[in-house]
Amino acid sequence: MQLKINLDENVKVIKQSLKSDDVNFNQIKIGDSDGVVIFAKDLVDKQSIGDLIIRPASLFKGKVCKDSLEQLFFYPEKQKVTTIKDCINQVVSGNALLISDGVDFAISFDIKFFQMRAIAEPPTSTVIKGPREGFVETLPVNVSLIRRRIKSPHLIMENTEIGRFSKTMVTLCYIDNVADKKLVEKVRKKLQEINIDAILDSSYVAKFLGDKTPTLFKQVGNTEKPDILVAKILEGRVAILVDGSPIALTVPYLLIEDFQSPSDYYNSPYSATIARWIRMISVFLALVLPALFVSAELFHLQLIPISFLLTIVNSIKGIPLSPSYEMFFTFLIFEILNEASVRMPRYVGMVVSIVGGLVLGETAVNAGIISPPTLMIIALSGICLYTVPELEQPLSFLRLFFLVIAGSVGIYGLIVAVSGMLIYLVSKESFSAPLLAPFTPLVKKDLKDSFYKGFLTEQNSRPQSLQNANRRRMDEN
Amino acid sequence: MKQLKTRQICFFFIAFMPITKFFMVPSILAGQAHEDMWICSVVNLLLDLFTLTALTVVCKRENTDFITLLKNKLGEKGAKVVLFIYAIYFFTKAFLPLQEQKEFVKLSLYINMPTDLFFLPFFLASFYLCLKPMRVFGRVSDVLWFFTLSGYLILIALSFNNVDWTSLLPVGARGVKNVLKGSYLTANWWGDCVYLMFFIGNFAHGKKASLKIILCYLLSGVIVLFAMIFFWGTFTSIAFQQKFAMTQLSKYTTVINNTGRFDYLGILLILFSCVFGLALPLYFCSSLLQEVFPLKKRWIIPLVVNVLILVLMTALNRFMATVTLVIQNYLSLFFIIMANLLPLFTLLLKNKEKTNENLQT
Repeated sequence: MQLKINLDENVKVIKQSLKSDDVNFNQIKIGDSDGVVIFAKDLVDKQSIGDLIIRPASLFKGKVCKDSLEQLFFYPEKQKVTTIKDCINQVVSGNALLISDGVDFAISFDIKFFQMRAIAEPPTSTVIKGPREGFVETLPVNVSLIRRRIKSPHLIMENTEIGRFSKTMVTLCYIDNVADKKLVEKVRKKLQEINIDAILDSSYVAKFLGDKTPTLFKQVGNTEKPDILVAKILEGRVAILVDGSPIALTVPYLLIEDFQSPSDYYNSPYSATIARWIRMISVFLALVLPALFVSAELFHLQLIPISFLLTIVNSIKGIPLSPSYEMFFTFLIFEILNEASVRMPRYVGMVVSIVGGLVLGETAVNAGIISPPTLMIIALSGICLYTVPELEQPLSFLRLFFLVIAGSVGIYGLIVAVSGMLIYLVSKESFSAPLLAPFTPLVKKDLKDSFYKGFLTEQNSRPQSLQNANRRRMDEN
Repeated sequence: MKQLKTRQICFFFIAFMPITKFFMVPSILAGQAHEDMWICSVVNLLLDLFTLTALTVVCKRENTDFITLLKNKLGEKGAKVVLFIYAIYFFTKAFLPLQEQKEFVKLSLYINMPTDLFFLPFFLASFYLCLKPMRVFGRVSDVLWFFTLSGYLILIALSFNNVDWTSLLPVGARGVKNVLKGSYLTANWWGDCVYLMFFIGNFAHGKKASLKIILCYLLSGVIVLFAMIFFWGTFTSIAFQQKFAMTQLSKYTTVINNTGRFDYLGILLILFSCVFGLALPLYFCSSLLQEVFPLKKRWIIPLVVNVLILVLMTALNRFMATVTLVIQNYLSLFFIIMANLLPLFTLLLKNKEKTNENLQT
């Protein structure tokens, strides 16, 4: 519905839609004409309303006409609005709206103002060396953190609103001569297809970007650090920022991304390579160590060296549970402690760690409920899991699955289960990029930032595991 | 769209060609040809290399897949008959290796409670694999070649000290007849070159692709030959009694006394590749049957194939010795014809029109 020249009619229609008490309708005079400033009082900067709208309006002389109203205000972030629907959207989005009698349009002023969190180091990816800035919940701040790092006209930010009620601003971010055009189009289309009442966090968007069928591993990468996001954009990925979320999304996602820590890029490549190998070994241990131990204890004693076997036999003497049940219950206790320590306030969390880890563990061993090797294996496996925290959820599930399989059918079942996981992983793709690249399909050039960390000077091309419009990062000379 | 790359075909042969040949084959050959057992495998290998060379010529020449070539030449019905026969071939080819793998898992891997149940999860993985496109095999080959190669190297290295090299002499003492008989009896386990026929037109034939593929097949064959030589050198006259050569080869290594069966690391690596290698004929059997009987629900044929072979294995379990003898004595010729002779006729298949397709894995 278009705005009309009659102010009262327009205000009446808008008032019918904006019944909420936090919306203000302030009558003002613009020269000889009447006007109304509409705004959500908790979302706008009231000082700016006075300075940018009311003061120039009060200084104006004569009757308002189309040209005079547009030229009256010097604020750069103003916008002409012609429909009732847009007027309402502008107000609920936190803009101030000025409607005047005698003209069939309104002017919206972007003068949003609300409390926001200060930029801080994200708790999920701390570094010893390197930038410590992290994204916040405010989209413009996040955009500025990226723009500050890529001062190029090729950096494109495309805004779109998603969510019927929330009308959350989502920004698609890429470098137009680096990112593959088909990829950008695909992401754009997927974003446009999202039909939901509200987007409360970027994880909501991630669910719509991935496959429709449920998947164990994520299909969209994420980061809380602007430097990491910029590095990914420079590799040809497309980023998605969501207002209200400090976590930015990136596509395509490769599994190896979660093994690449921010600190790898700011430390020596040798130590980064070793750290990366440790992460890979840790994930392997986290996944199969409890299962291997249980299957060896139950079915394949020949795998265990005699001296170690004697230690195990001595330690499990008198334990009432079978090895698989014992491992399962220790696993369960670990997961309960983990869940409790994450949910509890920090000061209580410390107590839970001490009571759970030390008192409960030691008491259970002394009471002969669980054996020390089992406790040690679950603890080691749990610690290993957190060397790659991004994969904690799928790996936790797989760890339990492998444990059940190994406890039921032994090591051959475990081998088949791992094979099944491999089949699953090799057949998965994220926006046409194979999830396990560059290992399979093998992309030799990309191994220098996956299997090992090469020197920055050697990494003269962008990852070939991804489709990108421009392969070279460094000039030939 | 090309599903594979030349590299993946090379890795495919390294990963899957040697794995099934080190369970029962060495003891069968040792019984037949004694110290010349490795020469039997040389004969099989040469036969395979000959067929493989012919197939690489077709791979280089043709840009269309084998099934389309066949349809162009023989028509829809003729092609379906050939594909159906190959489906039966793959089904029978899968039978003995699966049976021996089952026995191996039951008797060698588990020291208590030996039961057929332990092998059942394989069929779940096999069914799941049969539902996936061919590129999955290319991608797993990129990883598994390393496992197979490492597994074999570990086993060979651990048994090195135990080999009595003089026991291999004199070479050729058992005569041509015994050697050829040994080759004939183990034909079921060879003939992996036939897989290349189904990769025709499905992979990007890069520079020197034919040579690379042949060399990789040769490398896989050499690994098997080395394992055979080491096996005979370790056990000599009692080698024919050593069922499941894989677990026997390195069991005398002194290191094992202190570290447990350290050699199981190598065995487990090979077993990991084995899951895929044993599912391979079932995969091709399902794919070909899907071509012959195109069903909308693509999971039905893989399910039927996997259940059928499981049922057969269970039903024939008590008569396995007889079944093995029947397959070895009466079906070996069928295996040689299907794997080594019929593929040569692909040289006569030519595509009517050339197509340009993008390369992608």
